[in-house]
Amino acid sequence: MSELAKTPLFSEHVAMGGKMVPFAGFEMPVQYKSGALKEYTFVREGGAGIFDITHMGQVRVSGAEALAFLQHVTTNDVSKLADGQVHYSALLNNAGTFIDDITTYRISDTEYYLCINAANRHKDVAHLQGEAKRFDVTVSDESDETTLLALQGAAAQKALQPLVDGDLENIGYYRFAQVVIGGADAIVSRTGYTGEDGFEIYIPNHIAVDVWKQLLANGAEPIGLAARDMLRTEMGYALYGHEISDQVTPVEAKLMWITKLDKGDFIGKSAVEARKAEGPRQRLIALKLTGRGIPREHYRVFADGVDTGEVTSGMFSPMAGGVALAYVKPEHAETAALAIEIRGNKVEAERTTLPFVRSNVRR
Amino acid sequence: MTIPADLKYTKDHEWVRIEGDIATFGITDHAQEALGDIVFVELPEIGRTIDAGEAYAVVESVKAVSDVYAPAAGEVVEVNEDLESEPEKVNSDAYGAGWIARVRMSGDTIELMSDDEYNTFLEE
Repeated sequence: MSELAKTPLFSEHVAMGGKMVPFAGFEMPVQYKSGALKEYTFVREGGAGIFDITHMGQVRVSGAEALAFLQHVTTNDVSKLADGQVHYSALLNNAGTFIDDITTYRISDTEYYLCINAANRHKDVAHLQGEAKRFDVTVSDESDETTLLALQGAAAQKALQPLVDGDLENIGYYRFAQVVIGGADAIVSRTGYTGEDGFEIYIPNHIAVDVWKQLLANGAEPIGLAARDMLRTEMGYALYGHEISDQVTPVEAKLMWITKLDKGDFIGKSAVEARKAEGPRQRLIALKLTGRGIPREHYRVFADGVDTGEVTSGMFSPMAGGVALAYVKPEHAETAALAIEIRGNKVEAERTTLPFVRSNVRR
Repeated sequence: MTIPADLKYTKDHEWVRIEGDIATFGITDHAQEALGDIVFVELPEIGRTIDAGEAYAVVESVKAVSDVYAPAAGEVVEVNEDLESEPEKVNSDAYGAGWIARVRMSGDTIELMSDDEYNTFLEE
């Protein structure tokens, strides 16, 4: 096992009582002194939570054929992006299953920026650079130079505005701006992973500590991985390694909305079309426990006494109780009353719709 | 972190208060702090007979599921039902309102430590 990486904010986390755990090759804070529940509540109830997500990867794609290249390697229709716009997308392999889920930022028609998952970084970059050989395009991994902060919650704009030249009010949902923060070039997008209004902030490493401290001085509070996972699960957002993996296609993962089969050819398209025609092998559903307990990843799901699948993300939601995302057999995807096996007991659960709690993103 | 002098402790970070043949079980301050926010406690059924060292309850924090082991053998005579609606009492008052179960002891205990011994154990 190689040594764990540290983000430029490692010492800040420790100084604030961060309980550091291994996560995607990094030492990251799972929670701070006040605990995951208080952190969660702070974000949901009008605060500005600051998350160090520097472990995620950033890739710059530039060149005359940047658009054609991204149309080839990603599932969403990149031609629909305007300058300053972001969309959610995915990288598939030829089998139509996921290499990763990503966000794509259009800077110009010849320059794009991708945000990728930490654990998949080297795999993604190797894949992209391999495919790039056929295009007039350069794929640069900028992950090591980039600090990524997420600032989430109703007070996020107020906490961030004093640091930024330009009015954040002008950045719409899933839009971004190239700005100057602390004398350095930065990207600020109105995106996130919590269901709250907020921003993701890409800055060079050398200003990371200063920006972190300024945000804290403006009322933001640090939030760890545990609360982040609670917030994202309540929204039903997919997470690589849980709801999405190289075992499922967008048909199973309910991600056909980012898979544009009419945009022209792309890697994995024919496999996805075939899977769509034959029907999904399993279906992703949302469940809420009606009995007592907490569903956890890998717990088995039953329909009419039949083992039909397993929980991919499960947890205690302070607002919704025991909630889970699970893959079940297609024939049970519409079954209203299911059960989740918790330590040998089948606890009743009902199928529900997402999100588990109301989203407050700015539409 | 507190370690009351009137309790006994196990290496699995449980505490036990022995009063006559009745033993009250809980988890230590150290344990609750390590687990973080506790959001669910699965209590044993009254009348269940447990062996010393047997997992008799389950404590779930935001991220983890942890078995709780019995410091002493016996029959469960009372459980802390308040924890069903307020599991956070284990965090806020591990040695008081956060107790988990009471058993009528039948003899066996696992290796128990005094407060001083437990303190030394934590420091090692």
